[in-house]
Amino acid sequence: MMSCKDVSTLVSTGSLPDAPLVRRLGVHLHLAMCRHCRAFRRQVEAIARAARTLNRVFEGEPPSSFETKVVQRLLS
Amino acid sequence: MNVSASPAADITGAPRNPDVDMIKTVLKVDRNLLMRLRRRDPEALRTIVDEHARRLYRAARGMGHTTDEAEDLAQDALVTFIESIDRFEGRAQISTWLFGILHHKSQQRRRSKLRDDLHDPIDAVFESQFDARGNWIRPPVAPDRDVSSREAREAIQGCLEGLPPLQREVFQLRQMEELSAAAVSKVLAQTVTHIGVLFHRARMRSRACLEGKGWSHLP
Repeated sequence: MMSCKDVSTLVSTGSLPDAPLVRRLGVHLHLAMCRHCRAFRRQVEAIARAARTLNRVFEGEPPSSFETKVVQRLLS
Repeated sequence: MNVSASPAADITGAPRNPDVDMIKTVLKVDRNLLMRLRRRDPEALRTIVDEHARRLYRAARGMGHTTDEAEDLAQDALVTFIESIDRFEGRAQISTWLFGILHHKSQQRRRSKLRDDLHDPIDAVFESQFDARGNWIRPPVAPDRDVSSREAREAIQGCLEGLPPLQREVFQLRQMEELSAAAVSKVLAQTVTHIGVLFHRARMRSRACLEGKGWSHLP
């Protein structure tokens, strides 16, 4: 049986998709039963969502002529 | 065993695997694009710029560079890529190659190697949240506030700015650009395991920082 520490470490390191099937199943089983680890996972997801919002702001930052400027530099 | 599912089945005339066909098409398109890029074909250059310039800019901003620096870095990364395209064998993803150049340029601009401390005090903070059997001592509480608000964005921005630069880069590439751990390990020349450690530290530091700002009920 995996502990809360094992599960939250696997969630937080982002290594779950690469983990062996047995381990992945172990994590899903634990999450299904443990609301504390589900809360932890939701915290991690909330950080991700807030960060993606920030990323969209960055994406809108350079002027629309940015790409044209880069192409011109590549062709010069 | 289902023989038709093996890669060799394609050659022996057995039913084709649609996934393999798709991968072959993508590789063919890429090879064609590479040939055109080597000739400095304007349309191919435009394609590569449209696909990657803004993404590189965004990543540079996420790594803590100013708007002007980020514009320069994104441009420099693309120029270097085109200048060194004869060395690019097409085996790696173009984006991985470009992010690698961006990382290198970013370090040059900072005029120092990103320090990677083997021991980070955040590890002890994380450890202290569990008892000897690995159970939560003070269980975390799921966030109940809207994280997509402007206020949340400003809070996370402040917290990310406080991260050690290498952790910040890993967070940017893994979380925002959604690169795989394997791709980020190539970009930053670190092991896949260490990328996981750095991602974990970046997340736990952000979590502790957000807690300090009253953004969640964290243990």
